[in-house]
Amino acid sequence: MPLKAEWTALVSNEPLPVAGKSMKVQPMAGWNRSSAKPSSRSERWTRDGLALNELTFFADVRDGEALYFKPLMAEKDLPKFRSAMLPTEIVELFENSNRMILASSVFTIGKVEPASLGIHSGVRFTYEYAAPDEGISRKGEGVAAVVEGRLYLVNFVAPAIHYFDRDISEIRQMISTLQLRPPKRTGGR
Amino acid sequence: MKRWLNSILMTAAVALGATALPAKPLELLPSHTGYQPKDALEKGLWLEMDQAEQQVRASKFLIEDPELNAYVKSVLCRAVGTEKCGSARVYLIRTPQFNAAMAPNGMMLVWSGLLLRARNEAELATVLAHEFAHFEMQHSLQSFRDIKAKSDAMTWAGFVPGGLLAQIGLMGSMFRFNREMEKRADMAALQYLSDAGYNPMAASQIWEQFRGEMEAQAKAGKAGALAEEANDFFSSHPNTQDRMNYLRAAARQKTPSTDTGAARYKAAIAPWWPRLIDDQIRLNDFAATHYLLSGLARGQWSAELLYARAELHRARGKVDDIAAAERDYRAAASASPELAESWRGLGLLLLRQGQEVEGRRMLRRYLEKAPDAADRALIASMAGGARP
Repeated sequence: MPLKAEWTALVSNEPLPVAGKSMKVQPMAGWNRSSAKPSSRSERWTRDGLALNELTFFADVRDGEALYFKPLMAEKDLPKFRSAMLPTEIVELFENSNRMILASSVFTIGKVEPASLGIHSGVRFTYEYAAPDEGISRKGEGVAAVVEGRLYLVNFVAPAIHYFDRDISEIRQMISTLQLRPPKRTGGR
Repeated sequence: MKRWLNSILMTAAVALGATALPAKPLELLPSHTGYQPKDALEKGLWLEMDQAEQQVRASKFLIEDPELNAYVKSVLCRAVGTEKCGSARVYLIRTPQFNAAMAPNGMMLVWSGLLLRARNEAELATVLAHEFAHFEMQHSLQSFRDIKAKSDAMTWAGFVPGGLLAQIGLMGSMFRFNREMEKRADMAALQYLSDAGYNPMAASQIWEQFRGEMEAQAKAGKAGALAEEANDFFSSHPNTQDRMNYLRAAARQKTPSTDTGAARYKAAIAPWWPRLIDDQIRLNDFAATHYLLSGLARGQWSAELLYARAELHRARGKVDDIAAAERDYRAAASASPELAESWRGLGLLLLRQGQEVEGRRMLRRYLEKAPDAADRALIASMAGGARP
C-alpha cells in the first residue's frame, strides 16, 4: 500500500468498473477514488475525505481470502471468507474483520435484512462503532451478496452525527446503479 | 508518546522555576484524602494524567452503566476500606484483554476483560487491591524517577505504541514495576483481601487462571511471535510458579474464609456477560478463549457457557468443530430453552450442513423466543425456506 494515497476525481456519464472487472457503478458528482486499497480486491471512494464519508467496494473475493490486508500490529490472522457462508456469516465476517482492523470492541451490528446487490439477492446490515481515541461514533451500512462462490460487498461509513444521515440516501441511490457480472464459476463445487 | 513525555518534562521545568509548594506532612500517602503531589516531577505527572483522564471520560470505550460502575467501586471499597477508596476514580473500559491500571493521580482503569476473567468478587478484589497498592506505595512515581535518573527517558517512552488507552494500559510495563514492587503489591493486596473477610486463596487463583490462559495461547501460537510475547510477559511479571507459591503460602497464614462473593459477582456482571464473552470470541483466539471458558465453568457448564463454547467452535469451523458446536448448542438449548441465541446458532449450523428442515425449525424457534431481534427480517427469510 502506498504511504500516501492519491485521489482521482470520478467523472463519468456511464457506470465505471470498480474493484476489478465484475462490478460497475455510476458515480455521482463529487466522488473520488483512492489509490490506496484496503485489500487487493477492493477500492475506496470518498467525497469530502475519508473522515466524513467512506465508500468501499469489494469484488470477486474468493474462498479462503480475508476482506482486508492484515494490519502490521495484528497478532491474529483476519477471518477468511468461505464460499459456502450463509448471509448471517457474511455479516459476522465483516464485523469480526473490522473489530480486528480497528482494534475495537465497541462495534454493534444493527438491523440485518434481505436485500439485493445488482440483480442478486443478498443481505443488508447497519452498524455503529467507535475506533480507539477517535472520540466519535461512526455509523455504517453494508450490502453483500455471494455470487458464483465469490463475495461482493459495498460498505458506507460516516460519522454518526449528521454525516451518515445526510448522505445515506444518496449512497443507496448510487448502490442501486450497481451492476454485477461475476465470471462463471469454473470447476469446484 | 513523545509529546506526552515532552510536556511532562516541560511542566516539570516550569514548575521547578515556580514558587515552592506549600509544605505537606510527609507521611501523607496518595490514598489519603487531600494528598497533593509533592514536587515538580510528581505534579507534572499528575497534570498529564489529569488530561488523560479527561480523554478517558470522553472515550466511547467507557462503560457508563451506573450499576456496574457502582458495583466495581463497591468491591474496591470493601477491599481497601471506605476511607481510602475515595482516592480512586474507577473507569470501566470496553476492551476484552485482562488488564487494570492505576495512575498516580487516582485514576483507576479496569478493562472489561478483567470482569470476564474474574470468577468471583474476591478475584476481582485481588486485582483492584493490587493496583491500588501500587498506587498507594507510589510505585509508578518511583519507577518514573528511577528511569529518568538512569536513562534517556525520551527514547524509552517513544516505544510505547498505540493510542491513549493502549498507553495507559501499558503503564505497568511503561513504569516497569520490578519484581520486588510486584511482590509488595501482591502481599498488600492479600492483606486487604484478608482484612475485608474474603477468601484469601482467591489471590493466587486469579493469577493462576490468567497464567494458564497465557500458556494455552502460547502453546497454540505458531512458534514465534506469540510464544515470544508470552515469554516476555512472564519475564517482566513475577507471574510464575513462584508467585502462586508465595501467595498460597501467605494465604494459609491468614484467617480462613469461604466468602468469595461468587453469587454476588455473577449477578452483578450478568447483564454484561453476553457482550463480554462475545468481545472475547471475536478476537479469533481459540486456544485462550477455550481455556478461559473451561476455567469459568470449572466443570459446571451453564447454558451461557455452553452457548459461548458452541460459538467459539463454530467460528473456528474446522471439521471437528462443527460436531462440537452442534453438541453444545443442543445442550445449551436444553439447559435453558429461553436462551434464544442457542436456537439461532443451532439453526444456522444445521442449514450450513444442508439439514434445511430442522435448521429452519430451529430458526423459527429463535424468532419465537426473540421476536424483536435486530436480524429478524433476515432470519425470517432464511427460516421461511427461500434462502437469500
